[in-house]
Amino acid sequence: MMDKSNLAMHMAGSQRWSDSRPDSRVGQPQPAKPTRVKNIGLLGVAFFIVSESMFFVGLFLAWFYLRATSDAWPPAGVAPPPLLPAVINTGIALLSTVAVLFADRAIARDNRSGLIAGIATAGALGVIFMAVQSAEFTALSALAQGSAYGSTFTFLLLFHVLRVFVGVVLMGVVLVRALLGHFSSRRRLLVQGTAMYWCFITGVWLVVFAVLYLLS
Amino acid sequence: MKLAIAEAIATERDMASISIPIPLRDRARTGLLGWLATVDHKKIGVMYMMVAFSFFVIAGVLALLIRLQLAAPNMQVVDPQTYNQIFTMHGTVMIFLFTIPMLVGGFGNYLLPLMIGARDVAFPRLNAFSFWITLGAGLVMFGGFLFGARSDAAWTAYIPYSSKTFSPTIGMDIWLLGLILLGIGSTLGAVNFLVTLYSMRAPGMTAWRIPMFGWAMGTTAGMVLLATPVLTAALIMLVADRNFNTQFFTTNRVQLWQHMFWFYSHPAVYIMILPAMGIISEVIPVFARKPLFGLRAVVISTILIGLLGFTTWVHHMFVSGVDPTIERFFMFTTMVIAVPTGVKMFNWLATLWGGSLNLKTPLLMCLGFLATFVIGGISGVMQGSIPVDQYVHNSYWVVAHFHYVLFGGSVFGIFAGLYFWVPKITGRMFDEKLGKLHFWTMMIGFNVTFFPMHFLGLLGMPRRIATYDAGRGWEAGNLIATIGAFLLAFSVLIFIINCIKLRNGERAGNDPWEGNTLEWSTTSPPPEYNFREIPVVESDRPLFDARMRTPSA
Repeated sequence: MMDKSNLAMHMAGSQRWSDSRPDSRVGQPQPAKPTRVKNIGLLGVAFFIVSESMFFVGLFLAWFYLRATSDAWPPAGVAPPPLLPAVINTGIALLSTVAVLFADRAIARDNRSGLIAGIATAGALGVIFMAVQSAEFTALSALAQGSAYGSTFTFLLLFHVLRVFVGVVLMGVVLVRALLGHFSSRRRLLVQGTAMYWCFITGVWLVVFAVLYLLS
Repeated sequence: MKLAIAEAIATERDMASISIPIPLRDRARTGLLGWLATVDHKKIGVMYMMVAFSFFVIAGVLALLIRLQLAAPNMQVVDPQTYNQIFTMHGTVMIFLFTIPMLVGGFGNYLLPLMIGARDVAFPRLNAFSFWITLGAGLVMFGGFLFGARSDAAWTAYIPYSSKTFSPTIGMDIWLLGLILLGIGSTLGAVNFLVTLYSMRAPGMTAWRIPMFGWAMGTTAGMVLLATPVLTAALIMLVADRNFNTQFFTTNRVQLWQHMFWFYSHPAVYIMILPAMGIISEVIPVFARKPLFGLRAVVISTILIGLLGFTTWVHHMFVSGVDPTIERFFMFTTMVIAVPTGVKMFNWLATLWGGSLNLKTPLLMCLGFLATFVIGGISGVMQGSIPVDQYVHNSYWVVAHFHYVLFGGSVFGIFAGLYFWVPKITGRMFDEKLGKLHFWTMMIGFNVTFFPMHFLGLLGMPRRIATYDAGRGWEAGNLIATIGAFLLAFSVLIFIINCIKLRNGERAGNDPWEGNTLEWSTTSPPPEYNFREIPVVESDRPLFDARMRTPSA
């Protein structure tokens, strides 16, 4: 039977042996957290993005269910949405994704001005995206209350543009901290996380664009 | 490589470990602020447990009101409107504010980092945020309830009961708001657990050396991550329908709500049972003095249950007018899920078989789990059959079934876990005699309450009725159930007395049960940093290895 005394005390009492382990980082201080992955924070962002995707899966489920149970989609008397602003926004979304990825690659090579330029461009494009959307939203409030089509259409756009807003705020934080010189190739979790999240937002937009505009 | 090194040093020491500097935290904070401002997973876990247990007591009192009302025909303890509010709150609180926060928030938080040899979860501040938003959600729901803003559309909030027409008051909106907040809290908690489990394990803890409870929590967190956002979307849509005149859940499309609700709420059943299964998978081997029989089979079954749990939700809608072909598919998947569950059942029995059973309260609770859960499981398979379901749907048979699963399963599992780990949490042992009395009163009270409900259901008594007329043959069953409910409440009272007596309990020491997992290697209660040195794991039972190596004791 085991002694009731503290096993941890036994461990503390005996000498360290980690330094003699052939596979340990000899002579280097171990990190406070025994890490298995390079970046715990990014893994967290990845799982968060999974949950965010499921939110949109829920909304799309409603879209397809309501579409399948409706006689006409969009219903009679409702014009299909104008394609031009959505096409423009698709271009803007793709450009901003390129910019944010450029910013991330730049700081990975310690190119701070590249980071600032990339993130400022991506943020500005995000603001333009929201401006184009908001023009469409003035027409949407009546549409939302008129039919199931209008409600799901509005919700998908609304909850996507909310994510765009969050992304733009994140990019604003990155920009300010980049100007303050907080980032380097070794310290860029926020930049990477923002870039990942922005790619996700763009991905959602592509699905929204395809389903709401092209396939209706 | 690690194994060879471990063997080389095994002659000198109890357990291999590596020194990692203890992260510095503001350890000076004690008293109330030490709890309110904590990011320590153990304190957060204990707060989850306390909050969840308080909600359990409150929802239990609501259940007693339900049983009083139904004790005899035409009773008027409360009026029908209030009765609807009471059973709505009973269901909601038991599921969302007791079982899930207790198992995932309480046990998960407290045990997961300790079991995998970590000093905390991956994101301690996010963890604290999850707790406070969960508590806030509970207070929002209960605040509304106490101040007259009550929802009465049952925990399922089916359309059209929950629509503006039939639930015109703000109570429904408060209820929805509370659930949305809870969903955010538990989704973020799931992210935290998954990252912790993936990246914070002690050296040497390969996938097959993760304790069974860790696997159960990982599967549960995965289900929360995938299922909860869909419910959140549905809840927001319902809020919009009620307040902004959107047209999602119009009366000719009531099924949309049912699909979205059950897409979450059927996996939620497994979110409530898998951690409890994880608990008994830890407790049974310790008290049978044998390793868990077929660890890999149990792990694979757990993951299969998690995956299959997403393919069965339509079996709640067999009388909703779904296409019969789709219904048959879901009938099949529902029955298939009994296979991995059966595998686990037989593995637990095989663990007990030939073991040298130490019949202390934790094991008794596990035996209670096995005996009652199997009844709930089998009645579930019966209901999975479309013709049977169409007969018993919305009757007391269903009430009996899910209480056998969620009380007989989850709650017995929770008490097994509490009797097993509270000595670790507090450093004091429970009174064994009171524990046994608690078990037997609970076991008898539970079966007396819920077994007659099977007959009531078959005799045609519908769920959620505020009262009934005499002469339908329901009187005896209902009276017996009410008597059982009070015995059940008495058993919980015994547990509360046992908790109060903990103060003078025998000291637990580090490892009162001769456990297998890493939490028993540290002090009771563990220090804030859990382990002075991070242990190196060499098998799925690291503490067993350590005991085998210590010849003196």
